[in-house]
Amino acid sequence: MLNVAGISRRRAGRAAVSDLSFKLNRGEVLGLLGVNGAGKSTTLAMLAGALRPEEGRIELDGRRFDNAPTLARTLIGWLPEAAPLWPELSVDEHLGAFAALRGIGKAQARRGADAVIERLQLGDLRRRLAGVLSQGQRQRLGLACALLHEPPLLILDEPANALDPVQVGELRKLIRERAATGSAVILSTHVLGEVVAVCDRVAILHEGRLRHDAPLGDHAALEKTFFGIATGATA
Amino acid sequence: MSLTAMTRLELRRLAVRPLAWALAALTIAWLAWTFVLGLGQFLGAQVKLAALADAPGFTDLVAIPLLAELVKLAFLVVPLMTMSSLAGERRTGTLPLLLSTGLPAWRIVLGKYLAVLAWLGLWLLATLAMPLAVGAHGTADWGKLAAATLGTALTLATLAAVGIACSAATGFPAIAAAAALIVTLALWTIDRGAQAAGVSGGFLEWLTLATHLQNLLRGLVSSADIVWFALAIGVSLTLAVRRLGADRERQ
Repeated sequence: MLNVAGISRRRAGRAAVSDLSFKLNRGEVLGLLGVNGAGKSTTLAMLAGALRPEEGRIELDGRRFDNAPTLARTLIGWLPEAAPLWPELSVDEHLGAFAALRGIGKAQARRGADAVIERLQLGDLRRRLAGVLSQGQRQRLGLACALLHEPPLLILDEPANALDPVQVGELRKLIRERAATGSAVILSTHVLGEVVAVCDRVAILHEGRLRHDAPLGDHAALEKTFFGIATGATA
Repeated sequence: MSLTAMTRLELRRLAVRPLAWALAALTIAWLAWTFVLGLGQFLGAQVKLAALADAPGFTDLVAIPLLAELVKLAFLVVPLMTMSSLAGERRTGTLPLLLSTGLPAWRIVLGKYLAVLAWLGLWLLATLAMPLAVGAHGTADWGKLAAATLGTALTLATLAAVGIACSAATGFPAIAAAAALIVTLALWTIDRGAQAAGVSGGFLEWLTLATHLQNLLRGLVSSADIVWFALAIGVSLTLAVRRLGADRERQ
């Protein structure tokens, strides 16, 4: 479904991502691991269409995506780190705005909004302004906006930030549900437990380069690999 | 469709911001006071004016000065209304989110511009309601008032386009407002040096916003003036689109 071939990107004068390649199939959950500054958020911004790669190409369902970001309208749902929202708009208005921006019809948008609101337990907050939501509620609203159009590729950047343990459990269940319906999911985090709990495959980025891409093993093996790469012990 | 969605989103955000309401209330109150003062002076001077052969009327002495007052206020109000348009999105991190919906930069810029224009249109209408209410019962020069209204509307549209361009250029709304204020003031008075040197006409005079607005406020509608406004709006919005497009390239 997703084919990333040799993408590179410089940010603030240094190589944030270098020659990154990987593939992702429908129904697969990829955990993207890396220490702070490893290039995870830059990679996700490129995959979401918010940032153009300087080199390489990204294909979605066989169609070149990096030159046609309009494909993102229907194919991608992105929850950026810290779930940026418009503080003066309510939960309902956010969902309505994202549906309209993505070109979803009114009836479908209403159905989609009702479904994600119920799934993410936002029912009591529908009319509340985003500016007064707690960080965990904001995170759930950001997730609702990303899921609204049932995208075949879901990109989540640190989605468990500020969620309580019950909500983290719900989030994991939701990710597995999306995968079961055939969506591909990319989950960026620096928490190893998140990856072990929910992912099929793990990719480790370090200093902008992909240093590991393999099916998920056990927690101890992943920890050893991750710390080896992060501390420079593994070349 | 997505242009309409962008405009509606921005209008909704403008509608719930206290700044927009506060600016509207304060400026309309000021303009109403100005109008009442002007009207009082006009009525008080009726005897003197009746003795003049070609005396200025209600439109010249009350309605057009009111629109000129609105333009003066707009130099402050429009930068405040546009400062957050794109700089605010960049600052709160919602700009990448907008770009990720696949909207081209021109639709984002145009959507935001149209929303600000709608607000400014209502502001102009609320102001215009005062002379229209009085003029409907008197002898207003409708042609001259229409030309002055057109000039005011074009000036507001130009200031909004410059404001959007300044907002696109930075991630700090306050800097965007300050830049828009300076750029529009410069555009207003760019030929002051030439005037001080006793030079009239020429490129600098053509470049000055005041030259083109004054013609319209005098009731002179010329295509050259309208083309100047169209060019100023076009150049400003193009710069905003290019800067926003560059965000996708160089965030």
